[in-house]
Amino acid sequence: MTDNEQWLTGADEWAFSRAPLVELRGISKRFGAVVACDDVDLSLYPGQIHGVLGENGAGKSTLMKILIGLVLPDSGTISIDGVACTIHDPLDAAAHGIGMVHQHLSLVGPLTVWENVALGDAGKLDSDEVRNRIGELGEEYGLVIDPDARVADLTAGLRQRVEIIKCLRRNPKVLIFDEPTSVLTPDESQLLFKSLRTMVASEGKSVVLVSHKLDEVLSTTDDITIMRQGRVVDQMDTAETTAPELARSMVGREVSLRAERAALGHIELDIRAEVAPEPTVVTEPMLTITNANASGPDGQRLLDNLTLDVHSGEIVGMTGVEGNGQRALTDLLSSLLPLDSGTVTVNGEPVSSSSPGAMSRAGIGVIPEDRHDSGVVLEMTVAENLVLVDPQRVAQHGIIDHKALNRFAEKMIRDFGIQCSGPHAPLWSLSGGNQQRVVLARELADHPKVLVAAQPTRGLDVGAIEYMTDRIREAAAAGVAVLLISSELEEILDLADRIVVMSGRRIVGEMPRLGVDLEYLGLLMGGANV
Amino acid sequence: MTAVAEPATNEKQAGRARQGARLGEWLVLYALSILGAILISALLVTATGGDWQSVVTALLDGSMRNPGRWGETLGVAAPLLLVALGTVISSRAGLVNIGQEGQLAIGAAFATYFGFLIGGPGPLNLFVLLVFGAVGGALWAGIAALLRFWRGVPEVLSTLLLVAVAGQAVAYGLRWQRLLLAPEASRGNRNQVSEQLGTDRRLPEQVIFGNSFPISVYLAVGVALIVAFLLARSIWGFRLKMLGRNPRAAQHSGVSQKRYGSTALMLGGAFAGLAGAAMLAGGGFAFGNYQLVPGFSANIGWTGLLVALVARERALVCIPVALVFASLRTGSGFVASTGVEGRITDVIQGLLVLALLVPPAVMFVRDRRRARAATTART
Repeated sequence: MTDNEQWLTGADEWAFSRAPLVELRGISKRFGAVVACDDVDLSLYPGQIHGVLGENGAGKSTLMKILIGLVLPDSGTISIDGVACTIHDPLDAAAHGIGMVHQHLSLVGPLTVWENVALGDAGKLDSDEVRNRIGELGEEYGLVIDPDARVADLTAGLRQRVEIIKCLRRNPKVLIFDEPTSVLTPDESQLLFKSLRTMVASEGKSVVLVSHKLDEVLSTTDDITIMRQGRVVDQMDTAETTAPELARSMVGREVSLRAERAALGHIELDIRAEVAPEPTVVTEPMLTITNANASGPDGQRLLDNLTLDVHSGEIVGMTGVEGNGQRALTDLLSSLLPLDSGTVTVNGEPVSSSSPGAMSRAGIGVIPEDRHDSGVVLEMTVAENLVLVDPQRVAQHGIIDHKALNRFAEKMIRDFGIQCSGPHAPLWSLSGGNQQRVVLARELADHPKVLVAAQPTRGLDVGAIEYMTDRIREAAAAGVAVLLISSELEEILDLADRIVVMSGRRIVGEMPRLGVDLEYLGLLMGGANV
Repeated sequence: MTAVAEPATNEKQAGRARQGARLGEWLVLYALSILGAILISALLVTATGGDWQSVVTALLDGSMRNPGRWGETLGVAAPLLLVALGTVISSRAGLVNIGQEGQLAIGAAFATYFGFLIGGPGPLNLFVLLVFGAVGGALWAGIAALLRFWRGVPEVLSTLLLVAVAGQAVAYGLRWQRLLLAPEASRGNRNQVSEQLGTDRRLPEQVIFGNSFPISVYLAVGVALIVAFLLARSIWGFRLKMLGRNPRAAQHSGVSQKRYGSTALMLGGAFAGLAGAAMLAGGGFAFGNYQLVPGFSANIGWTGLLVALVARERALVCIPVALVFASLRTGSGFVASTGVEGRITDVIQGLLVLALLVPPAVMFVRDRRRARAATTART
């Protein structure tokens, strides 16, 4: 992802036709008091890959939703091929030749590839025609796929391929990709970008790449629009910019910390060349998972003989393509998934996986991947959410002392810089970053022996990411055994002391961060037998 | 005042203003919907050939104004309140128990059977009776709890279906002397009736200004206070709420869904059963004349469920709501004398329930829309 190859800028043959394919002028959209898009201009030219870069909440997604008709703008005009038009819904958008590959794929698992591609077609279904077309498109764009494979059996990367083919079959003029690499291995990402280039170079399509990762935008696009707080703050030619410049303009201030840069998807070369610190004295592992097997309600495998250990003061970074069992592992360590076989021990003591709250009592703090799923109770107050796990700390004889609760909550709100109107604010009224701080505060308040952080920075803005990574480092420095589960390789490389790779619901490889071999890592993530 | 403190104060004032505006919104919504319900009711009465003013007068006379009537109303309100409190507990844990009518009937049957089986001196027997009433209701709800947490059968279905079973079971018991049926000597020419409770086994009555009511009224209010306190302040209540709002977060935090869930469901049943026992021992009024008869539960279970629904999980709010519903019930007896079909009050009651449920629904939808707008804006 880091190397800026020459084929990426091969759009010269289209450089002469500078009439924009799609032109957005003065687009504004507000939701209540929040301005999601503020007077945004955007021009998409044929034969170009246009990057839209911005932090979470910068308005990128809203802008794209306007373009494909999921959201109607309050004001502003959209013109396609110079003709002003209104896009009422995604069908309208499709009719105008605009298609989008969503961040969360919308395929039907039990159906085959060709059935999924044909889904939504009107009239008589000609399966051979659809199959042939899938073959043609696959050849043309390097997106080869078996039309008769069941979607449920495909990897995330191949599913995305199906989604792309589904879009391409309608022969769109504009293709939007919303954070396409979050479900891909590094190799798959490279392949995807190569096919994007084919699309724009050979047919004059226009591609929009929405991303918050600097490196992929830098290496893939022709020009870049940077959004911040609903506004376009900068538009530039990719060839004439650098990563630091992009970061500055995206965040609105000088970005110097390594954590922040990692958060922006920019790996610095010197990380890899760092000198190893003296290894600490090898101790007994704090957290040990041995031969863990678990299955879901339908009998599907969730964990397959997973073995893992984490030592005190160590950050183990678990990387891997999403959907390879990471969520099951977090569930296991949150007492949400009973094991069929295998053991979990903390500090040498076995912990039951079937007893509610046992993991937490044993000293495992968890920041779950989806905090709304098991991390917080949205309808309860901030104070209540801070003592979910351990209400005894503010209670006597089973009765909660509200003064003690408030004191405790106020202290946590101060210590962790939680921005809210007070301990009694309902949790749903907080922003995502502050909700995440509530979870962090609660799980760290008990001085855990083990901290599991699953995608801890997802959906947070840069400031919040920096805070979160600092706290994780501090926890490790204080002797907590930290398991960091992340699909952002940059985050792992930045934080972890040791990297383990998860694929096919088990650990497939392990290496120290220093001297990490990214190619080998990518192969492991892809499930290659090496 | 220092410059640092100022923003905080402003924020507080803004918060208070927001709360004020919200309260106003609530009041307007309630006023509008209740007005709507009254209007439709009046139209209905007029349409069926009645005079709405005389209906209102009859309702007020029957529930409050005539001698002894408000005592009667209190006597009806007590079991309604007990049933509603049990419902509040189950729904706090996220469980939808709608089988109170059956749990109440089984509670009354247990009270009758074990009361006569165990015997003993009056006050002690009364205690036994109330305890077994609660046990019966709890066991009946326990069937639903077992099905729910062992086999995943939705409690909405099982509790509802068990109502029909309970009715049949009680009727069956009333056919056999070794179960519930009174000995031939004391039942006269009636079949399907239990023995009447002796005067020393009944709930004592309080007489104020010619209005008498059983002391189960005090019991119910006392229980309401305790339930309100426990739900709001105890760790147990805290965990129930957690379980109701986010079962996965609760499980992570060590709340066993099986244990807390079945406790909550069974407590709901216990309260309904207790209400049944209290009706048996305290109700010469509207209820069975101190003996168990088929159809003894007399819709108190259903109405109690409505009370909880309208009070929306708040134990103390159940008290006034139970009074309103009890008034409608005692008042409806008088409506018949105005020449209007007495059942028109059922319709009025239904309309009133709807009217009381509309504002929360509207607010919920609006809040959600606002929240969604805010989150969409953020992504």
